[in-house]
Amino acid sequence: MASMFSSSKFSDSLTVVGVSLCSAVICEAISWILIYRTSSYKSLRSSIDKASRKLESMKTTTDSLKLTTKKSKTKKMDRVETSLKESSRDLFFFKFKSGAVVAIVLIVVFGLLNSLFEGKPVAKLPFTPIWIVKSMSHRGLQGSDLTDCSMAFLYFLCSISIRTNLQKFLGFAPPRGAANPGLFPMPDQKTS
Amino acid sequence: MKEAKSAKSSKQSKEQTQDDHVSHLRSSKFFDPDASWDKDELGDVLHWIRQIMGIIFGVLWGAIPVVGGLWILMFLAITSGIIYYYYAMILKIDEEDFGGHKALLGEGLFTSFTLFLLSWILVYSLAHF
Repeated sequence: MASMFSSSKFSDSLTVVGVSLCSAVICEAISWILIYRTSSYKSLRSSIDKASRKLESMKTTTDSLKLTTKKSKTKKMDRVETSLKESSRDLFFFKFKSGAVVAIVLIVVFGLLNSLFEGKPVAKLPFTPIWIVKSMSHRGLQGSDLTDCSMAFLYFLCSISIRTNLQKFLGFAPPRGAANPGLFPMPDQKTS
Repeated sequence: MKEAKSAKSSKQSKEQTQDDHVSHLRSSKFFDPDASWDKDELGDVLHWIRQIMGIIFGVLWGAIPVVGGLWILMFLAITSGIIYYYYAMILKIDEEDFGGHKALLGEGLFTSFTLFLLSWILVYSLAHF
Protein backbone atom coordinates (compact mmCIF):
# COMPACT_ATOMS: atom_id res chain seq x y z
CA MET A 1 0.00 0.00 0.00
CA ALA A 2 2.87 2.37 0.83
CA SER A 3 4.51 1.66 -2.55
CA MET A 4 1.15 2.31 -4.26
CA PHE A 5 0.95 5.76 -2.65
CA SER A 6 4.58 6.63 -3.35
CA SER A 7 4.23 5.70 -7.04
CA SER A 8 1.02 7.73 -7.39
CA LYS A 9 1.06 10.73 -9.71
CA PHE A 10 0.18 12.92 -6.75
CA SER A 11 2.54 11.56 -4.12
CA ASP A 12 3.80 15.13 -3.59
CA SER A 13 0.60 15.71 -1.61
CA LEU A 14 2.04 13.48 1.12
CA THR A 15 5.11 15.73 1.24
CA VAL A 16 2.87 18.77 1.71
CA VAL A 17 0.93 17.03 4.50
CA GLY A 18 4.14 15.85 6.17
CA VAL A 19 5.70 19.32 6.09
CA SER A 20 2.44 20.85 7.43
CA LEU A 21 2.38 18.37 10.27
CA CYS A 22 6.00 19.07 11.21
CA SER A 23 5.51 22.84 11.00
CA ALA A 24 2.36 22.59 13.16
CA VAL A 25 4.33 20.70 15.84
CA ILE A 26 7.18 23.23 15.67
CA CYS A 27 4.75 26.18 15.88
CA GLU A 28 3.01 24.72 18.91
CA ALA A 29 6.39 24.08 20.55
CA ILE A 30 7.36 27.73 19.93
CA SER A 31 3.97 28.88 21.23
CA TRP A 32 4.40 26.77 24.34
CA ILE A 33 7.84 28.28 25.01
CA LEU A 34 6.78 31.89 24.35
CA ILE A 35 3.13 31.89 25.46
CA TYR A 36 1.54 28.90 27.15
CA ARG A 37 4.08 28.17 29.87
CA THR A 38 4.25 31.83 31.05
CA SER A 39 2.50 32.79 34.29
CA SER A 40 0.81 35.77 32.56
CA TYR A 41 -0.95 33.47 30.08
CA LYS A 42 -1.99 31.02 32.81
CA SER A 43 -3.44 33.76 35.02
CA LEU A 44 -5.27 35.42 32.08
CA ARG A 45 -6.71 32.08 31.00
CA SER A 46 -7.78 31.26 34.54
CA SER A 47 -9.50 34.64 34.98
CA ILE A 48 -11.34 34.23 31.66
CA ASP A 49 -12.54 30.75 32.61
CA LYS A 50 -13.71 31.95 36.04
CA ALA A 51 -15.46 35.03 34.65
CA SER A 52 -17.25 33.10 31.91
CA ARG A 53 -18.43 30.42 34.38
CA LYS A 54 -19.62 33.14 36.77
CA LEU A 55 -21.45 34.90 33.96
CA GLU A 56 -23.12 31.64 32.86
CA SER A 57 -24.37 30.88 36.39
CA MET A 58 -25.58 34.48 36.88
CA LYS A 59 -27.49 34.35 33.58
CA THR A 60 -29.32 31.16 34.59
CA THR A 61 -30.34 32.51 38.03
CA THR A 62 -31.37 36.04 36.89
CA ASP A 63 -34.65 34.96 35.26
CA SER A 64 -36.23 33.77 38.48
CA LEU A 65 -35.51 36.92 40.57
CA LYS A 66 -37.72 39.88 41.57
CA LEU A 67 -37.39 43.15 39.64
CA THR A 68 -35.24 45.07 42.18
CA THR A 69 -32.89 42.14 42.73
CA LYS A 70 -32.80 41.61 38.97
CA LYS A 71 -31.54 45.20 38.38
CA SER A 72 -28.63 44.86 40.80
CA LYS A 73 -27.86 41.40 39.41
CA THR A 74 -27.81 42.82 35.87
CA LYS A 75 -25.35 45.53 36.98
CA LYS A 76 -23.14 42.85 38.50
CA MET A 77 -23.37 40.83 35.28
CA ASP A 78 -22.30 43.89 33.27
CA ARG A 79 -19.25 44.28 35.50
CA VAL A 80 -18.30 40.61 35.08
CA GLU A 81 -18.87 40.87 31.32
CA THR A 82 -16.64 43.97 31.11
CA SER A 83 -13.93 42.21 33.11
CA LEU A 84 -14.25 39.18 30.77
CA LYS A 85 -13.88 41.41 27.70
CA GLU A 86 -10.83 43.13 29.17
CA SER A 87 -9.16 39.81 30.01
CA SER A 88 -9.96 38.50 26.51
CA ARG A 89 -8.44 41.66 24.98
CA ASP A 90 -5.30 41.31 27.12
CA LEU A 91 -4.99 37.65 26.14
CA PHE A 92 -5.39 38.54 22.46
CA PHE A 93 -2.63 41.16 22.55
CA PHE A 94 -0.38 38.92 24.63
CA LYS A 95 -0.66 36.11 22.09
CA PHE A 96 -0.42 38.56 19.17
CA LYS A 97 3.04 39.76 20.16
CA SER A 98 4.44 36.26 20.60
CA GLY A 99 2.53 34.96 17.58
CA ALA A 100 4.75 37.05 15.26
CA VAL A 101 7.50 34.43 15.63
CA VAL A 102 5.06 31.66 14.70
CA ALA A 103 3.90 33.70 11.71
CA ILE A 104 7.52 34.02 10.47
CA VAL A 105 7.96 30.23 10.68
CA LEU A 106 4.74 29.66 8.73
CA ILE A 107 5.74 32.18 6.05
CA VAL A 108 9.15 30.51 5.64
CA VAL A 109 7.54 27.05 5.37
CA PHE A 110 5.00 28.30 2.85
CA GLY A 111 7.76 29.94 0.81
CA LEU A 112 9.76 26.71 0.83
CA LEU A 113 6.80 24.63 -0.34
CA ASN A 114 5.94 27.25 -2.95
CA SER A 115 9.43 27.08 -4.41
CA LEU A 116 9.24 23.27 -4.54
CA PHE A 117 5.77 22.93 -6.06
CA GLU A 118 5.08 26.16 -7.93
CA GLY A 119 3.12 25.55 -11.13
CA LYS A 120 2.69 21.85 -10.32
CA PRO A 121 -0.59 20.24 -9.24
CA VAL A 122 -0.06 18.21 -6.06
CA ALA A 123 -3.54 16.61 -5.90
CA LYS A 124 -6.79 16.17 -7.78
CA LEU A 125 -10.00 17.67 -6.47
CA PRO A 126 -13.03 15.34 -6.53
CA PHE A 127 -15.25 18.36 -7.16
CA THR A 128 -15.19 21.53 -9.26
CA PRO A 129 -14.38 24.41 -6.90
CA ILE A 130 -16.61 27.48 -6.70
CA TRP A 131 -15.17 30.88 -7.64
CA ILE A 132 -14.13 31.78 -4.08
CA VAL A 133 -12.06 28.62 -3.72
CA LYS A 134 -10.83 28.53 -7.31
CA SER A 135 -8.33 31.37 -6.88
CA MET A 136 -6.55 29.42 -4.15
CA SER A 137 -7.03 25.87 -5.46
CA HIS A 138 -5.77 26.74 -8.97
CA ARG A 139 -3.12 29.25 -7.83
CA GLY A 140 -0.10 29.30 -10.15
CA LEU A 141 -1.29 26.32 -12.22
CA GLN A 142 -1.37 26.21 -15.99
CA GLY A 143 -4.29 24.85 -17.97
CA SER A 144 -8.04 25.12 -17.58
CA ASP A 145 -8.67 21.95 -15.57
CA LEU A 146 -10.08 23.40 -12.36
CA THR A 147 -9.87 20.07 -10.55
CA ASP A 148 -6.07 20.36 -10.44
CA CYS A 149 -5.15 21.26 -6.87
CA SER A 150 -2.27 23.61 -6.07
CA MET A 151 0.01 23.35 -3.05
CA ALA A 152 -1.52 26.52 -1.54
CA PHE A 153 -5.00 25.03 -1.16
CA LEU A 154 -3.75 21.72 0.23
CA TYR A 155 -1.47 23.56 2.65
CA PHE A 156 -4.39 25.74 3.73
CA LEU A 157 -6.52 22.64 4.48
CA CYS A 158 -3.63 21.02 6.34
CA SER A 159 -2.95 24.14 8.40
CA ILE A 160 -6.52 24.57 9.56
CA SER A 161 -7.30 20.91 10.24
CA ILE A 162 -3.97 19.73 11.69
CA ARG A 163 -3.03 22.81 13.71
CA THR A 164 -6.47 23.38 15.23
CA ASN A 165 -6.81 19.76 16.30
CA LEU A 166 -3.27 19.69 17.63
CA GLN A 167 -3.97 22.77 19.74
CA LYS A 168 -7.17 21.19 21.00
CA PHE A 169 -5.45 17.91 21.78
CA LEU A 170 -2.63 19.61 23.69
CA GLY A 171 -5.06 21.87 25.57
CA PHE A 172 -3.80 25.08 23.96
CA ALA A 173 -7.08 25.99 22.26
CA PRO A 174 -8.42 29.42 23.28
CA PRO A 175 -11.03 29.29 26.08
CA ARG A 176 -14.65 29.25 24.88
CA GLY A 177 -15.58 32.23 27.04
CA ALA A 178 -12.99 34.50 25.42
CA ALA A 179 -14.44 36.71 22.69
CA ASN A 180 -12.04 37.86 19.98
CA PRO A 181 -11.83 41.66 20.33
CA GLY A 182 -10.01 42.11 16.99
CA LEU A 183 -7.26 44.62 16.25
CA PHE A 184 -9.56 47.61 16.82
CA PRO A 185 -11.69 46.85 19.87
CA MET A 186 -14.77 49.09 20.28
CA PRO A 187 -15.27 50.78 23.67
CA ASP A 188 -17.85 49.13 25.89
CA GLN A 189 -21.06 51.17 25.54
CA LYS A 190 -22.40 50.03 28.90
CA THR A 191 -19.52 51.59 30.88
CA SER A 192 -18.99 54.75 28.72
CA MET B 1 8.04 -10.14 53.51
CA LYS B 2 5.23 -12.44 52.26
CA GLU B 3 2.63 -10.24 54.04
CA ALA B 4 4.07 -7.08 52.43
CA LYS B 5 3.90 -8.76 48.99
CA SER B 6 0.30 -9.90 49.45
CA ALA B 7 -0.72 -6.44 50.77
CA LYS B 8 0.90 -4.85 47.73
CA SER B 9 -0.82 -7.23 45.28
CA SER B 10 -4.23 -6.72 46.92
CA LYS B 11 -3.68 -2.95 46.78
CA GLN B 12 -2.78 -3.25 43.09
CA SER B 13 -5.87 -5.36 42.35
CA LYS B 14 -8.05 -2.81 44.23
CA GLU B 15 -6.54 0.01 42.15
CA GLN B 16 -7.09 -2.02 38.97
CA THR B 17 -10.76 -2.53 39.92
CA GLN B 18 -11.11 1.19 40.60
CA ASP B 19 -9.47 2.03 37.23
CA ASP B 20 -11.83 -0.38 35.42
CA HIS B 21 -14.78 1.15 37.24
CA VAL B 22 -13.70 4.70 36.36
CA SER B 23 -13.08 3.87 32.68
CA HIS B 24 -16.46 2.10 32.52
CA LEU B 25 -18.10 5.14 34.08
CA ARG B 26 -16.34 7.46 31.63
CA SER B 27 -17.41 5.42 28.61
CA SER B 28 -21.01 4.94 29.83
CA LYS B 29 -21.46 8.70 30.38
CA PHE B 30 -21.33 9.17 26.61
CA PHE B 31 -24.57 7.22 26.25
CA ASP B 32 -26.27 8.09 29.54
CA PRO B 33 -29.20 10.55 29.23
CA ASP B 34 -29.10 11.14 33.01
CA ALA B 35 -25.44 12.18 33.06
CA SER B 36 -24.68 15.82 33.81
CA TRP B 37 -22.54 17.68 31.31
CA ASP B 38 -20.32 20.70 31.62
CA LYS B 39 -20.52 23.09 28.64
CA ASP B 40 -16.81 22.69 27.85
CA GLU B 41 -16.96 18.93 28.28
CA LEU B 42 -19.88 18.49 25.89
CA GLY B 43 -18.30 20.91 23.42
CA ASP B 44 -15.08 18.89 23.38
CA VAL B 45 -16.92 15.60 22.88
CA LEU B 46 -18.95 16.99 19.98
CA HIS B 47 -15.78 18.49 18.49
CA TRP B 48 -13.93 15.15 18.46
CA ILE B 49 -16.95 13.24 17.17
CA ARG B 50 -17.06 15.67 14.24
CA GLN B 51 -13.33 15.26 13.55
CA ILE B 52 -13.59 11.45 13.52
CA MET B 53 -16.58 11.64 11.18
CA GLY B 54 -14.66 14.05 8.95
CA ILE B 55 -11.83 11.53 8.53
CA ILE B 56 -14.17 8.53 8.07
CA PHE B 57 -16.34 10.18 5.45
CA GLY B 58 -13.34 11.71 3.68
CA VAL B 59 -11.61 8.33 3.39
CA LEU B 60 -14.87 6.65 2.36
CA TRP B 61 -15.80 9.24 -0.27
CA GLY B 62 -12.23 9.12 -1.64
CA ALA B 63 -12.02 5.32 -1.72
CA ILE B 64 -15.34 4.64 -3.51
CA PRO B 65 -14.79 7.32 -5.15
CA VAL B 66 -17.61 9.82 -5.28
CA VAL B 67 -17.22 13.11 -7.13
CA GLY B 68 -19.13 16.36 -7.16
CA GLY B 69 -20.02 19.17 -4.82
CA LEU B 70 -23.26 17.39 -3.87
CA TRP B 71 -21.23 15.01 -1.71
CA ILE B 72 -19.96 17.96 0.33
CA LEU B 73 -23.57 18.87 1.14
CA MET B 74 -24.26 15.19 1.91
CA PHE B 75 -21.36 15.14 4.36
CA LEU B 76 -22.58 18.31 6.11
CA ALA B 77 -26.15 17.05 6.30
CA ILE B 78 -25.27 13.54 7.53
CA THR B 79 -22.74 14.64 10.15
CA SER B 80 -24.98 17.41 11.47
CA GLY B 81 -27.82 14.90 11.66
CA ILE B 82 -25.66 12.48 13.63
CA ILE B 83 -24.52 15.20 16.04
CA TYR B 84 -28.10 16.40 16.53
CA TYR B 85 -29.31 12.80 17.11
CA TYR B 86 -26.53 12.24 19.63
CA TYR B 87 -27.13 15.27 21.84
CA ALA B 88 -30.92 15.50 21.42
CA MET B 89 -31.97 11.82 21.39
CA ILE B 90 -29.19 9.90 23.15
CA LEU B 91 -27.96 12.43 25.71
CA LYS B 92 -31.33 14.24 25.82
CA ILE B 93 -29.59 17.57 26.35
CA ASP B 94 -31.59 20.79 26.74
CA GLU B 95 -29.87 22.85 24.08
CA GLU B 96 -30.85 26.13 25.82
CA ASP B 97 -28.43 25.27 28.64
CA PHE B 98 -25.58 24.96 26.16
CA GLY B 99 -26.06 27.97 23.91
CA GLY B 100 -28.73 26.60 21.57
CA HIS B 101 -28.66 24.34 18.49
CA LYS B 102 -26.37 26.76 16.64
CA ALA B 103 -23.62 26.47 19.26
CA LEU B 104 -23.88 22.68 19.57
CA LEU B 105 -24.09 21.99 15.84
CA GLY B 106 -21.30 24.48 15.15
CA GLU B 107 -18.86 22.91 17.57
CA GLY B 108 -15.82 21.86 15.52
CA LEU B 109 -17.76 22.20 12.25
CA PHE B 110 -15.26 24.20 10.18
CA THR B 111 -12.25 22.17 11.36
CA SER B 112 -14.02 18.88 10.61
CA PHE B 113 -15.02 20.22 7.20
CA THR B 114 -11.39 21.01 6.31
CA LEU B 115 -10.30 17.62 7.68
CA PHE B 116 -12.99 15.94 5.56
CA LEU B 117 -11.86 17.81 2.42
CA LEU B 118 -8.22 16.96 3.12
CA SER B 119 -8.97 13.24 3.62
CA TRP B 120 -11.24 13.09 0.58
CA ILE B 121 -8.76 14.87 -1.71
CA LEU B 122 -5.77 12.82 -0.50
CA VAL B 123 -7.42 9.40 -0.78
CA TYR B 124 -9.03 10.29 -4.13
CA SER B 125 -5.73 11.58 -5.59
CA LEU B 126 -3.52 8.81 -4.27
CA ALA B 127 -5.81 5.84 -4.86
CA HIS B 128 -7.23 6.70 -8.30
CA PHE B 129 -4.40 8.45 -10.17
